[in-house]
Amino acid sequence: MSTESQSGDDLRDRITNFLRRNFPQIQMHGGSSSITHLDREEGVVHIQLGGACSGCGISPMTIQAIKSRMVKEIPEIERVEADTGMSAGADGDLGGTGSSSMNATFPGEGDDDGEDDEGPQAPF
Amino acid sequence: MADFDPETFEEEKYTDHFAELQRAYKDAFEAMREDHGSDLIHALDQQVLNESEPHFVDGRFEIELPENPTDRVTAVDADDATLTAALDRYTDEIAARLHSLFGVERPENEA
Repeated sequence: MSTESQSGDDLRDRITNFLRRNFPQIQMHGGSSSITHLDREEGVVHIQLGGACSGCGISPMTIQAIKSRMVKEIPEIERVEADTGMSAGADGDLGGTGSSSMNATFPGEGDDDGEDDEGPQAPF
Repeated sequence: MADFDPETFEEEKYTDHFAELQRAYKDAFEAMREDHGSDLIHALDQQVLNESEPHFVDGRFEIELPENPTDRVTAVDADDATLTAALDRYTDEIAARLHSLFGVERPENEA
């Protein structure tokens, strides 16, 4: 049974703001992040990265960073499940920082043909 | 680049050293894709390395993988030996790039 509440979305907003604040490169370089499920009772949030993240070579590192930092910085969250959609399906209820939530596909060369999916704050 | 401190790496890797970690993963991804093809490396990247974690242990960087990593790969049709060999090379590539980025010499037996 879903524990999602339609009212009082403070936690959802904080998660979204956490992603925007700490991982701006997701959006700035063509990616998106969406909250696909939030279980407030269990403290579990599912995040799906889409767009350019689906074929980006640094998305695994980004996912690990999100998992590690979110549980530290948002006390209500005890576990983060994050992926690019290749190994887990979204259950709807999108509400993240991006405008799209695409399932991962192998994008060929198109999404990785340059340096555009690197983080803007990275000194390289 | 923040100075590398082995004592604080575990605590600071996803904050102070995030840029270097991104760079290492990205560069390894590009190198592996050139050698092994796009589909296989994308699958390893998105289905195995998304559960990986870099550590610095006994003077060297290591990439911890999830349990049964090759079982996680469903996006490509490849035998276990092929996946294992590619994963070994991939994690070694990431580790090598971390050593380079952080200016930490790899132990002799890691060359």
